[in-house]
Amino acid sequence: MESSVIPITNLQLAFTFILILITGGISSFLKLGLLKSLVWGTVRTFVQLTLIGYALTYIFQINNLWLIILIITIMCYIASRAAVKRTPNVSGHPTVPAFLSLVASTYLVGTIVTTLIISPDPWYSARIAIPIFGMILGNSMNGIALSLDRLYLEARARAFEIEAMLTFGATPWEAIQTSVQEAIRAGMTPTINSLMVVGLVSLPGMMTGQILGGADPREAVRYQIVVMLMIAAAVAIGCLILVGLSYKKLFNDDGGLQSFVLSSRK
Amino acid sequence: MLFEFKDIKYTLGNESERNIVVSGVVDSGEVLIVRGPSGAGKSTLFRILSRLQPGSGGEAFLQGKSWLQIPSTSWRINVHYMAQKPALFDGTVADNLAKPFETRAGGQKKLDQDRAKELMEQLHLSLELWNQDARTVSGGEASRLAFIRALLVDPMVLLLDEPTAALDEPARQALYRVLSGWLKAANRAALLISHNNDYRQLEHIKYVDIIKHPERGD
Repeated sequence: MESSVIPITNLQLAFTFILILITGGISSFLKLGLLKSLVWGTVRTFVQLTLIGYALTYIFQINNLWLIILIITIMCYIASRAAVKRTPNVSGHPTVPAFLSLVASTYLVGTIVTTLIISPDPWYSARIAIPIFGMILGNSMNGIALSLDRLYLEARARAFEIEAMLTFGATPWEAIQTSVQEAIRAGMTPTINSLMVVGLVSLPGMMTGQILGGADPREAVRYQIVVMLMIAAAVAIGCLILVGLSYKKLFNDDGGLQSFVLSSRK
Repeated sequence: MLFEFKDIKYTLGNESERNIVVSGVVDSGEVLIVRGPSGAGKSTLFRILSRLQPGSGGEAFLQGKSWLQIPSTSWRINVHYMAQKPALFDGTVADNLAKPFETRAGGQKKLDQDRAKELMEQLHLSLELWNQDARTVSGGEASRLAFIRALLVDPMVLLLDEPTAALDEPARQALYRVLSGWLKAANRAALLISHNNDYRQLEHIKYVDIIKHPERGD
């Protein structure tokens, strides 16, 4: 039977215990100190995914537009918190700009994909929208975190150039141009790189999932193309918005660089 | 009065006893030498006067107009700070000299190539540098290029932070000669930090000394 999912029974799922034993064995053999995290991580994986499985079943059944919007917005918020944690060089907690940039990029790209490209009936089908928006979020979260972190790093490294530009009458935006370009480039590079090697080095998770689910690989590939390109667009938009919202924090009200940008200067 | 600063107040480090309050005045054609021991906050004063960083009090005036009434972008062109360490950007020497004209505020003018080359010759710089990668020039060349760039910005008040520190004697004299010539036009003045007392050939010199403020600060 080629066109159906082979179900995993509870007993079969229990066999994953072997995999945990292997991972745990390596950790204790090498004294990696990861055992506690591994156990806790395993428990969380089971609990979180089981719950989300039930939740999704319920959400797909009622398929209410407002509920979908609420869920996606909460996902954006969680993603923005996670993104901010990955920015060790950023001072302050830019959760609000991260959230705004994810909301804007995810909704814009996600709506284009669900309404124009996949166009299910009704157009807001939760079964389509939630996985699609989730994939966009998961990827743009990394992109925006990289780009925000790079913005701060570049600004510190180039503080001298930025100040010179200010003395030429540059506005903060003009003065920090090079850092902004580097930041957005840093955010987009992993996505662009993955466009180069996809299918050669790795089969992406979504495509693999569809194939395991019994889909025709040629169909799965078409979906994957859409997914790759929507991620690239969302990352670009998200980085641009976040950097646009964040660069002003590097400057004071008078348009000079903040002292924390200068403090690391030699 | 071309440029005046009153009771500019700032603190160095975190020690409250290092409060500094300083005032000064320069008119067209004059040079105000800012004196004080190393670490006294002379560069900090220049950074405050050019509005790269805020002080904790005081006010500056350009042609009688307070800095509160002038947008920081045009203020920084007219009260132009040339840092001790020259800032060089990716690109050629020519690209670097053209940098001030890439901004919206500076973009109304274009790089005057003839003037730039003339200044290079006056400062003993070879014209072969013109198309050279700016990252490959020597320290002395870099500081003279930064000085040329500052003149091309065409400010009213030039804040020069040890412009001759990396230069040999003939180049120093050349720099002060060019500065003297520049100061002869209307509405131009300079503030100068120099540890070398090598500026004797400048005319219309005044002095201001940076001293610690006697009262303990807020």
